[in-house]
Amino acid sequence: MRVEFISGNEASAEGAMTAGLKVYVGYPITPSSDLFEYLSEKLPERGGIVFQGEDEIASINALVGAALAGAKAMTATSGPGLSLMAEGIGLACMVEAPLVIVDVMRAGPSTGIATHVGQGDIMQSRWLSHGPYNLVAFAPFSAQEAFDYTVKAFNVAVRLRLPVILLSDATIAHTRERVVIKESGEIEVEDFKRPTVPPEKYRFYDPDPRDLVPPMAFLGEGYYIHAESLSHDERGYYDTRPSVYRRLVERLVKKVERNKKSIVASKSYYTDDAEILFVAFGSVARSTLALVRDLREQGIKAGLFRPISIWPLDDEKLIEASKRAKKVVVVELNQGQLVEVIEDALWHHQRYDVEVLSLPMILSETPSPDEILDEINSKGWKLW
Amino acid sequence: MEKARKYQIIIAGRGGQGILLAGHILGKTLVKKGYYVVHSETYSAETRGGDSRSDLIVTIGEEPDLIRIRKADIAVFMFDEQMERYAKWVKDDATVILDSTYIDKPTKNWSKIISIPFSKLAEEKVRNRRVANMVMLGSLSVITGLFEVGLLKEVVAESVKPEWRDVNLKAIDVGFEAAKEMGLG
Repeated sequence: MRVEFISGNEASAEGAMTAGLKVYVGYPITPSSDLFEYLSEKLPERGGIVFQGEDEIASINALVGAALAGAKAMTATSGPGLSLMAEGIGLACMVEAPLVIVDVMRAGPSTGIATHVGQGDIMQSRWLSHGPYNLVAFAPFSAQEAFDYTVKAFNVAVRLRLPVILLSDATIAHTRERVVIKESGEIEVEDFKRPTVPPEKYRFYDPDPRDLVPPMAFLGEGYYIHAESLSHDERGYYDTRPSVYRRLVERLVKKVERNKKSIVASKSYYTDDAEILFVAFGSVARSTLALVRDLREQGIKAGLFRPISIWPLDDEKLIEASKRAKKVVVVELNQGQLVEVIEDALWHHQRYDVEVLSLPMILSETPSPDEILDEINSKGWKLW
Repeated sequence: MEKARKYQIIIAGRGGQGILLAGHILGKTLVKKGYYVVHSETYSAETRGGDSRSDLIVTIGEEPDLIRIRKADIAVFMFDEQMERYAKWVKDDATVILDSTYIDKPTKNWSKIISIPFSKLAEEKVRNRRVANMVMLGSLSVITGLFEVGLLKEVVAESVKPEWRDVNLKAIDVGFEAAKEMGLG
């Protein structure tokens, strides 16, 4: 264990190395490039490989190959690069290749403002590829969490055999903070879920009925492995029968739901008696927390619910945090995306009594607490 | 709610004056001291000239919330242009430290103003104007009492390239001595 003063990107890189990263393939893009640069210096010293693909499409596909060969694999990118990775991420979901993708969000749409921050990839991180599938996304709000949740992202990826996205943002990525770095042994690091049967009895997509995840043999070990992107049966053979397709797709979607308890993460602040519940994540949650503390000093019963897992959402904790809330204010650096997720969750739990207010901030900087307050005041909501 | 001790620090100057490195080194030193530190940088595209700014939030006993400062308790301005630009980010009762090589008079009547010719000292005593940032950090140790000069030198020794080690360490001593002679610590 050691204490460092490093940026969110560097902390993610350290987290990946603690988790046992073996192969990094990426294509540089601001504001993620310094993560790539940091790893290119450090990972080879630890026996890993860092490789620059000719573009993001090549990079993500190379990672699928690396993962199927049993390497813990990662890339980092930003919105425009993530868009290019859409097909490869869908492929990883379908062939059940565990990967970690760090998406350092910048101001969009399109190439937007490369050096400025945004939080517009909430829906993209979940729905970027076509068809029915499921994946996991974590959003850190500090360099420490960038470390901790990169480790967790790898744990979940190998446990569930799917891609996990670390939804960081330019502000978190480039702010230096005190970070406690732990090595494997000091923090939980999970290994791939391995076959327990001999090669002749092994099927690449035969799930463990308890968690719906098929144990994973690696390419080149003597097991028969057919990584198939088309609809397939448990052996990986192409099969279009409705019953086979349904069994496959339902499992791909349900394996996240089934294992949700071990994935979800969130933090609540001053919510025991909060009548106004703020919801914010990533760098915006830092300013929102400061605002909530200001409001508390003025005697206003404000609280903050901060989702760390965005997909899936820690909805039980949200419901608990909102138990006394009359109004929920969702602050985010986009046109209003997280608000849809929060509203869905509240409605799902029959909390029709809560008024959900969207506070989208169309800025290319992380707003200060005063800017958030100004925006609230401009809405004329009369929250207090 | 209990108030933890918290300091908001801004260091600003022209690109090329080592503002970002000064912020990084200061942050590293304060983390070694056991404090929580948040450091963010702002800089323009030019490598020389243009704006350079380091924001540091230091909290003792509580994890910080903010990333950027709201209003600085401690401000260091190394050039007059940036002092004028960023004066609005500084509290009226802040400790304001100016490089008098480039700043004739302060923009505002802050309650505590300390002027030291960091760049001139660097040039005259270390024969290298580029280490004015280290002269400043040496003085800052005396002025703020937030960290020991020995700890600062330890961090600098492990952070800069070997060929630049001695000149940087000497610059810290120069700044430390200058502040001591002025009776600031």
